[in-house]
Amino acid sequence: MNNPRTKIITAPLNRVEGDLEIRVRIEDDRVAEAWSVGVMFRGIENMLKNRGPLDGLVITPRICGICSTAHLTAAAKALDAISGAEVPSNAIIVRNIALMAEHIQSDMRHGFLMYTADFVNSAYSRQSLYDEAVKRYEPFKGRTVIDVIKHTKEILETIAIFGGQWPHSSYMVPGGIASKPNMNDIMQCKYLIDKFASWYEKRILGCSLQRWLKVQNGAELDAWLDENESHYNSELGFYIRYARDIGLDKIGQGHANFISFGQLDLPESSKVMGRNPNSHFLIPAGFARNTEIEPFDQQKIFEHVAFSWYTDSNGGQHPISGETNPYATGEESEKYSWTKAPRYNGTPAETGPLAEMVISQHPLFTDLVNTVGSSAFVRELARLTRPAELIPAMQQWILELNPQEKFYAHSPNITDGEGFGLTQASRGALGHWVTISDKKIKNYQIITPTAWNGSPRDTDSIRGPWEEALIHTPLKDTENPVEIGHVIRSFDPCLVCAVHAIQGKMENRWKI
Amino acid sequence: MSNDAKIRIICVGNRYRPEDSAGPMVYDQLVSERLPENIIVIDGGLAGLNLLRFIQGADRVIFIDAVNCFRPSGGVIILNAADASRNSETLFGHGAGLSYCLRVLPEVHEGKLPEIFVVGIEGTTGPDKILTAAEMSLKIATQGSP
Repeated sequence: MNNPRTKIITAPLNRVEGDLEIRVRIEDDRVAEAWSVGVMFRGIENMLKNRGPLDGLVITPRICGICSTAHLTAAAKALDAISGAEVPSNAIIVRNIALMAEHIQSDMRHGFLMYTADFVNSAYSRQSLYDEAVKRYEPFKGRTVIDVIKHTKEILETIAIFGGQWPHSSYMVPGGIASKPNMNDIMQCKYLIDKFASWYEKRILGCSLQRWLKVQNGAELDAWLDENESHYNSELGFYIRYARDIGLDKIGQGHANFISFGQLDLPESSKVMGRNPNSHFLIPAGFARNTEIEPFDQQKIFEHVAFSWYTDSNGGQHPISGETNPYATGEESEKYSWTKAPRYNGTPAETGPLAEMVISQHPLFTDLVNTVGSSAFVRELARLTRPAELIPAMQQWILELNPQEKFYAHSPNITDGEGFGLTQASRGALGHWVTISDKKIKNYQIITPTAWNGSPRDTDSIRGPWEEALIHTPLKDTENPVEIGHVIRSFDPCLVCAVHAIQGKMENRWKI
Repeated sequence: MSNDAKIRIICVGNRYRPEDSAGPMVYDQLVSERLPENIIVIDGGLAGLNLLRFIQGADRVIFIDAVNCFRPSGGVIILNAADASRNSETLFGHGAGLSYCLRVLPEVHEGKLPEIFVVGIEGTTGPDKILTAAEMSLKIATQGSP
């Protein structure tokens, strides 16, 4: 710390699931090193041990108030696998629509309540578009902020209608769902989906879903933007202009490895098809280095704890045999996080909407990653446009529900055995690995999207995805390092972001 | 949840974290009692901003939640929406809770705003406080402003 151009910044980042801190070393006004620090141990996995096999359906949705449907989905799928239950098409569709409703509200809220809140940071007060950004994104007042809150609260009604309760519903069970929606319920949900779709087209895209889905590459994205005022002034149009104006397309690249567990099972005889005809998901599973896609095999997942406050394992453990044994004595030297470090085939990988787009071989995002690389701009663009991938399937699936058919198939008893439930939460790959023995949960391991994106270093000292994405990020003002917030928030980490810098005995605090 | 009930008691918190479990404990108490037909009790959990959907169409809403720094000596207190949201987060995050929800409520609510009360439970939670909070919330629910 003798170099006057070097300093350490520590960013405590709070969230529902726990707390995170980002620590960076700055050299010559750029991020030279970064550490992602999970500062809270929760112990949910250990809490589940020795409970009844079904308890995961009740406890895990409470891991997170934002993505409780995703946890319920993973928990139910794990028990489907263990019991050998076959889930009827009606139940697959209800599970899918509920998960998609959770995604599209989360995408909009993250985009326009959290991510673009940084656009009105005082660092940008001299930007030509700043005044317009304030009108749109000012907390509690911006017209976009208010509009997004109004319209996202309605779409979640679909989960309440299907689940009978929301939040923290537990209506997904092995073999289907516990509720039996009638035609009135289905028509109510159809109305809510169509209403959201209409608002999304008008306000967010400024065009129809069909027009947006014709955008196939970066050049066509530019052409779409300039095509008419409706595109140019839409929320998406303004995001593209402002984000490029402040340089978000030049920061936050990362490893450019992507992972998706796949989500939204395609029921038999459905007219809905994903972009990959060989996948049984609407959003396929896979791993990609840049845009080179490899088949996904969950056996290649290992969690490392070399830099995490847990008792060491030799090189990492597959989650089915994973352990959560906290070890923090103050004498562990290089350990620095309560988050474990999941790796795929020994490699860190980012997850989320951009990973889904790449692994789906979405032409626009494949082109952007190939030509200009991933970035904070591209990552958030994928999130803001993901509803365009989901809404058409929601509109079709709601029509395919048949209240005269089964929503639940009697499932065999949950016998002793092992199973896993994999899906995509709004922020990316989510997995539950469960072992049942003597009719009780013997082991329960969960890997969340933020564990992938915010992991610390692994056994080989390789940085986690957003640690890597921060490297070389230029900071115009180290007293107001808003660029760090842009990069971290582009991963949608469930964080409230405040930064304080530590310089010797002095501590400065500020918000980013 | 039935949107027909015009008086709603919404219990907020996380039953798996002792310092935030007061709301769910009052919920358990209230649902064990026989309540007037026009009152519904809701487990608001960690819904945060999504609590908005429970407010729509109500005449009177009573939230029950753990609070900090309103009564350092501990106890059960009654707050209005303005007091409860005065120190809310400025920026929305996934940690945004009841206070953020109440602060943004006037901007996003459709129709006439209901009466809003917050029964806050400060300090260590025990059976006496839970019973007191349950009784106070029911009294406000049936009689209005204390």
